[in-house]
Amino acid sequence: MHIDLKMNILGGQHQLRKTAIITIIAMTLMLCYFTSASIVKLYRAGSPMPAALQEQEVPYRLVLITQEMDTPFWDLVGDSALAEAEKQGISLQIWGSYGSNEDDFLKKMEIAIASKVDGIIVQGLDTEEFNELTKIQAGRHGIPVITVASDVPMQDSLRRTYVGSDHKEAGRLVARELLSDMGQAGTVILIGGSRQRYDQDLRLAGIHDILQHYPDIHTVFAEAPDERERVVSAARDVMNRYPEADALIAVNSNITETLVREIGKRYQQSPFRIYSFDDSPETMELLKAGKLEGMILQSPEEMGRISVDLMVKWLKSEAGPLDMSGYYTNIRMVKAEELP
Amino acid sequence: MKMSIQHKIWLLAAVVLVIMASIWAALTYYNQQTQDQYNNILQRYIQMNDASIASKELVAALNNYLVTPAQEQRALLQEAIDHIRQSKYEMYRLRNTDNDAELSSVVHLMDSLVETTDRTLLLRSENDPEATSTTFAEATRLSLYISEMTLTLIDKELNTYNPFYRGIIERTEALKQLGVWLLLLITFLLAVFTYWFSHSITRPLLSLSRAAKEISRGRFDLRIEVNSNDEISFLAKMFERMRVNINNLIMEIQEKAQLEKELQQSRLLLQESQLRSLQSQINPHFLFNTLDTISKKAYLEGSEETSDLLVNVAELLRYNLKRLNRSVTLYDEVRVLHQYIEIQTARFAERLQFQADIDERCLYIQLPGLTLQPLIENAVIHAVEPREEGGIIRFIVKDEAEHVRVVIEDDGPGIPEAKIRSIVAGVDTGSGGHSTGIGFSNVVQRLKLFYQGADVIHIKSAQGAGTTIILTLPKRGNEEHVQSSDCG
Repeated sequence: MHIDLKMNILGGQHQLRKTAIITIIAMTLMLCYFTSASIVKLYRAGSPMPAALQEQEVPYRLVLITQEMDTPFWDLVGDSALAEAEKQGISLQIWGSYGSNEDDFLKKMEIAIASKVDGIIVQGLDTEEFNELTKIQAGRHGIPVITVASDVPMQDSLRRTYVGSDHKEAGRLVARELLSDMGQAGTVILIGGSRQRYDQDLRLAGIHDILQHYPDIHTVFAEAPDERERVVSAARDVMNRYPEADALIAVNSNITETLVREIGKRYQQSPFRIYSFDDSPETMELLKAGKLEGMILQSPEEMGRISVDLMVKWLKSEAGPLDMSGYYTNIRMVKAEELP
Repeated sequence: MKMSIQHKIWLLAAVVLVIMASIWAALTYYNQQTQDQYNNILQRYIQMNDASIASKELVAALNNYLVTPAQEQRALLQEAIDHIRQSKYEMYRLRNTDNDAELSSVVHLMDSLVETTDRTLLLRSENDPEATSTTFAEATRLSLYISEMTLTLIDKELNTYNPFYRGIIERTEALKQLGVWLLLLITFLLAVFTYWFSHSITRPLLSLSRAAKEISRGRFDLRIEVNSNDEISFLAKMFERMRVNINNLIMEIQEKAQLEKELQQSRLLLQESQLRSLQSQINPHFLFNTLDTISKKAYLEGSEETSDLLVNVAELLRYNLKRLNRSVTLYDEVRVLHQYIEIQTARFAERLQFQADIDERCLYIQLPGLTLQPLIENAVIHAVEPREEGGIIRFIVKDEAEHVRVVIEDDGPGIPEAKIRSIVAGVDTGSGGHSTGIGFSNVVQRLKLFYQGADVIHIKSAQGAGTTIILTLPKRGNEEHVQSSDCG
């Protein structure tokens, strides 16, 4: 009996010991797990410092400067240009002014020239200051300038080349479309803006190229300044003067929306065929809504890609002399009835 | 591994020290790193700001020089130019993958500013005030651009380092957590380690003291075992040796006492046997010769029967004395048996009827001496002597294929079952005093020894229906027994 009791106690002790050892091992494992987990967490926490740049990794620094930052068109140009720059292994920065702030735009140009970038791809601005900058300042530093989307006269700016739509051809396209829609007689109002005069002139030249062969078509040109109110008043004015007009062409790209809205206020059903050179999403909406007859669709991606490519080729002196007259990207006419 | 207590303590202290030192080192290293990173970033901001300040200073110095073209102003201007150059180189070092473009711009702007300054100075020396003021305006603009660009750069830096700052905060948080877990882990491990460590010291002590208690109680036969590898184990070993020594001594003393006791006993026995041997110190040859002489005398006096009887007695006596430890042939045994029967016949006359049926061919086999005579004597004592009408004893020797069967039969009162069993088992039953000295059980034992335990003797008996003793003596293998017995 006594021995039995002792045995039981010993057995109990043994059991207890076993439990204690298992508990200790479990505790140790658990604590080890949590400790190592937090070590891993500590190790993973935080992002590394940006790597220091030891040498010139990027062979060329390019700047793309526009007057209209953050517009869908220029976003597309910028994105494709960036993609191309990455592909070529060069650095490209996109600078620009918002809402066509000319002073800011020119300042950006000046900074780009002063900071000695290797090449400037710029939306052309046909002003004296712009031409002065590209011709004298950039020329002094030997910085090549390529205009994109909007051109400036070559001899004034000494730009290397131009990449973008052939605006004269765009004008011809619209004129032909107008002829086929309207027939060979009628009155056409051409409304232009005060900016990007060079593009506008080219477009007008293209339109006249075609329409001059049709004496029964009268063209009237009206200029609408940039400000919204004045576009409205100019539109009213011209509509008052030519209420019998058959078509209306917004030669400057930025006025289409204002114009269409103003016409919408005046007439239930627009008596004009309206054509636009603008391919912004808003204009596209108007086209879909049937407020526009047709519009010119440009290729911003191509512009970005080709301009960077040409600039790099020029810098590497691979392409030889660039075609001064410019590299034209695709344009096509989009009609309201073509859309789904 | 031998490890003294001191070593164990040193080990514990070392482990604790190493853990604490490594944690301290890791924390210090981490803090240092974090601080370095902070410093680095701050340094960058200061440097960038310095670029802006340097460009403003340069323009101010240039302006001062243009207004008052004194020597000291020129020196100050030069100083400003040096400063901006220095700052430019410093800036150049801050380039990284994120800010490369902006930083390059700033650096080049600074270059342009220095160039424009130089041009301004040149134009001034050429005395062209209009161009001078134009270039100065350009320099002023450039300085503004630098400031702007620097701000953009700092802005970008802030953006770049924002996740990094968050990372630092995250890491600090993680470090706090790690600290808690590490503290728990170390506390736990140290507790376990300390327990184990103290246990490893106290456990052997405990078992040693238990052993000491047992010894103090007088138990010297328990082995002292201590599982340890330090001084305690040495102590335990010494203690164990002491215990063994004491135990041996006690055993020795006990053995000695035992020996002494036995010695005493055997001394007494010796005295007794000496006495006995003194009592029985009659020369047997003297007895034989005397018996022979008496026999001759009886023969001469014409008493032939007495003479024969005496010869038989003498023969029997000689046989008894000689053959006890030897194997003999069945023939000898039968001869002695006849002599014995003759003596007994003289005693019991008609009362003893002895019938013998002996197969002469079997008489060559060997068997221990004095086997048959005690059995016959037993029969005579129990079956003939107590009965007035006497008894019949049959003696048969029969040849069987591998055995010789010897049967001794009487018609006496029989032997009780229990007694038979005790006889066959070889227990001395102490039969009556008038035998020739060799009892039944003695015969059984000797037969067992001789035939190496083979079952050779069978006793059949029934109350009042006589006793039959059957010996089954194997024929084969007898020769060896003879030899071994002779040698022995």
